[in-house]
Amino acid sequence: MYKVVFIREGTIVSVPEGMSVLEAEIRAGLKPDAPCGGAGKCGKCLVRIADMLSHGDTTLPCEAIDTKISSHDNIALSCEVRDSEKTIAAEAYSQPVRACQTKVMADILVDTFSSQTKEYAILTEGYLRPVTYHPGLSLHKIQLEKPETGDKRSDWVRMTEQLTQDEPLEQIYPDPALASSLYARRAESTEWYAIHTDEKILDLRREPGRICFAAFDIGTTTVAGYLLDAKDGRTLAVESRLNPQVQYGADVIMRANYALEHGIEIVSMCIREAVNGMLSILAKKASICTEDIFQVSVVGNTCMHHLFLGISPASLVHAPYTPAISARLTLRAADYGLHVHPNAQLLMLPVIAGYVGADTCACLMATRPDQEDNITLMLDIGTNGEMVLGNRKRLVACSTAAGPAFEGAKITCGMRGAAGAVDHVFYENGNWRYTTIGGEPAVGLCGSGLIDLVACLLRAGMIDENGRLESGQADPQTFVLVPPEDAGNEQGVYLTRKDVGEVQLAKAAIAAGIQLLMEELQITEDDITEVRIAGAFGNYMNPTSAGEIGMFPRSLVGRVRSIGNAAGEGAKLALLSREELKMSEKLARSTDFIELAALPEFQDCFVEQLGFEEV
Amino acid sequence: MSKITEVAELVEKGKAKLVGPAVQAALDEGCDPMDILNHGMIDTMTIVGDKFKNGEIFVPEMLVAARAMKKGVEVLKPHLASGSTGANGKVIIATVSGDLHDIGKNLVAMMIESAGFEVVDLGVDVSTDKVIEAYKENPDTKIICLSALLTTTMPAMKATVTALNESDFRSNIKVMVGGAPITQEFADEIGADGYSEDAASAASLAKRLVAA
Repeated sequence: MYKVVFIREGTIVSVPEGMSVLEAEIRAGLKPDAPCGGAGKCGKCLVRIADMLSHGDTTLPCEAIDTKISSHDNIALSCEVRDSEKTIAAEAYSQPVRACQTKVMADILVDTFSSQTKEYAILTEGYLRPVTYHPGLSLHKIQLEKPETGDKRSDWVRMTEQLTQDEPLEQIYPDPALASSLYARRAESTEWYAIHTDEKILDLRREPGRICFAAFDIGTTTVAGYLLDAKDGRTLAVESRLNPQVQYGADVIMRANYALEHGIEIVSMCIREAVNGMLSILAKKASICTEDIFQVSVVGNTCMHHLFLGISPASLVHAPYTPAISARLTLRAADYGLHVHPNAQLLMLPVIAGYVGADTCACLMATRPDQEDNITLMLDIGTNGEMVLGNRKRLVACSTAAGPAFEGAKITCGMRGAAGAVDHVFYENGNWRYTTIGGEPAVGLCGSGLIDLVACLLRAGMIDENGRLESGQADPQTFVLVPPEDAGNEQGVYLTRKDVGEVQLAKAAIAAGIQLLMEELQITEDDITEVRIAGAFGNYMNPTSAGEIGMFPRSLVGRVRSIGNAAGEGAKLALLSREELKMSEKLARSTDFIELAALPEFQDCFVEQLGFEEV
Repeated sequence: MSKITEVAELVEKGKAKLVGPAVQAALDEGCDPMDILNHGMIDTMTIVGDKFKNGEIFVPEMLVAARAMKKGVEVLKPHLASGSTGANGKVIIATVSGDLHDIGKNLVAMMIESAGFEVVDLGVDVSTDKVIEAYKENPDTKIICLSALLTTTMPAMKATVTALNESDFRSNIKVMVGGAPITQEFADEIGADGYSEDAASAASLAKRLVAA
């Protein structure tokens, strides 16, 4: 094993000899940009390399296939190299080489100069879409002065008029409790700060103090929370954890069923407690008080949305699967047990349909395909695969029951993306290689490793068009990737014919959904300019493998872009821009929904997509 | 016979697009439509079902084989005398109220049809009343099959089975249940006559139930 130090990221990863630098980047979680999938064709994965020990004094310790590198070819770099373990002169780095074609043959330092700028570009272009910072919450300095004799205006009106001077606000909702405190406050001081929205004053303070927002993306499996500074919208802290509701069932149906049988409150309290726990950790990380949080936005699939609010999921889990409520909501956070400022608001983003939730709406907010002429496809692959296809003319959404195969469930050696999970598999010239999360000994296959393995087996000709597995090993219906002696468990890591069947069912569900959305819009795959894959699985999966197994049309492989946790970004946008928040409702209502189960052609289309095409 | 063997091979491999023309070629060659159906398709689906039970093939292959057979039957149907199929009797099949999922149910219907039954498919989200109505329209029905894919629609299955158990025609029929969340225990608890784990076993169960 050799050490590879990524100097820009400050990350170190251990890799076996001969692994490509690109694979090392993937293993280190850097998400390198490799549009051709590491085939050595596109030249997008350029890096500069230096020997960790000799600082590149002699020839470089890597076997470069495409470029002969030696220190004599040194060129001055325009960029400044950050300190790593050792400070090393920029001149010691090689000329740019293709990471996918460069093998690690020693401990090396890698400068990912090219992907660096690109990753940033993705952030600004994509899920951190630039919006004008104009939150729904404002802070205003006000004067509480003794009225002139004869001024018949109430204390409340005299105060709120000061708030409406700068921008025309609609009537601020009169708050008797707050009005009652004005006389006493005036005695204390004339100078106050009002924290308010267009309709409501949330607090009066002597000092401006800290004002924060919190955004939550409540997934079926994981919950992500963000703490933002209301002053400038900066993210102060991030926290994530498993959704503790998994104890009541892994998928939304089981969880809804539990809520219906044992009471919605148990399941609601469970997630609210988790959110409170995260709020206090977020506050601690940013050194603020949870009482400084004045707005909390929450997105999630429709079932998570309903269960968070304590709404019965009964209508969601019985045909025709409609939500009980879909509108954007502004609620009092305290009414939902959140430990934030007592007057804080809870913003619930709108739901699109029963199985296309507020999380999908948030993804749309983060990417705004409704503003584009180009047709894009947004895919969020989890147990249910939600997808939205279209452009400014029309957006159509659907949800497919992909099942939990890509989350490791139902697969013999399947597991979630945790340490020791095989996350990438490579097959070249008859040789099999793989990487694991954290570089730990392999103990199972996570979603990205699973689709890589199936794609490699197709390429190796070991899986036929019907999914039959002929591994040529002792048990021809099983392919052993990691024998027990090399694995971190007793049974090794392998794939069975039945596992291939599960992958077929899952990928066909997604492919059929895409097919039917295209038919609905009367377009073909050639009309789709970009495929945006949201969520963790989308972040780690190799698009080439996904295309090869037929999860989406193969011609789209080069047009795939990972948009990270776009749902979380949408939840943030709701807090950062009142225009975006208002737009969310319009976006949700104008997105059409197709119930695939009700389409007569769904089954044919699904069965059509079950097979594999030759690679 | 070779043309029929070809049909059989195409059905087993799930070559939906090629089955239709192959059936037509067999007909053009003068093969008996009943032979094409029995030996080209039904026997094949029985083999497919057995292979599935033995763990040699899996759900995707069964689905593609079933679809291929369906395409073949479409070509064959006009050439079959009415009443020439379904010698084992009539079966009503439905996905229960509140559930829109029918891929599994359709596969069961196809396997039961291949086992020599005439199948009346009521579709999805079928209420108890509709099931009872369908029986009254088809009083020669021998088995009623109910499917539920969602845990949350199991109560609807129970309600329909309970209504059937209380009906005056209960002794004339057998009730079979299935679907991902259904178990033998649940089937026993709600008073169904039979449960099977998959489409292939459903066909053999149906045969056993009418023979009993």
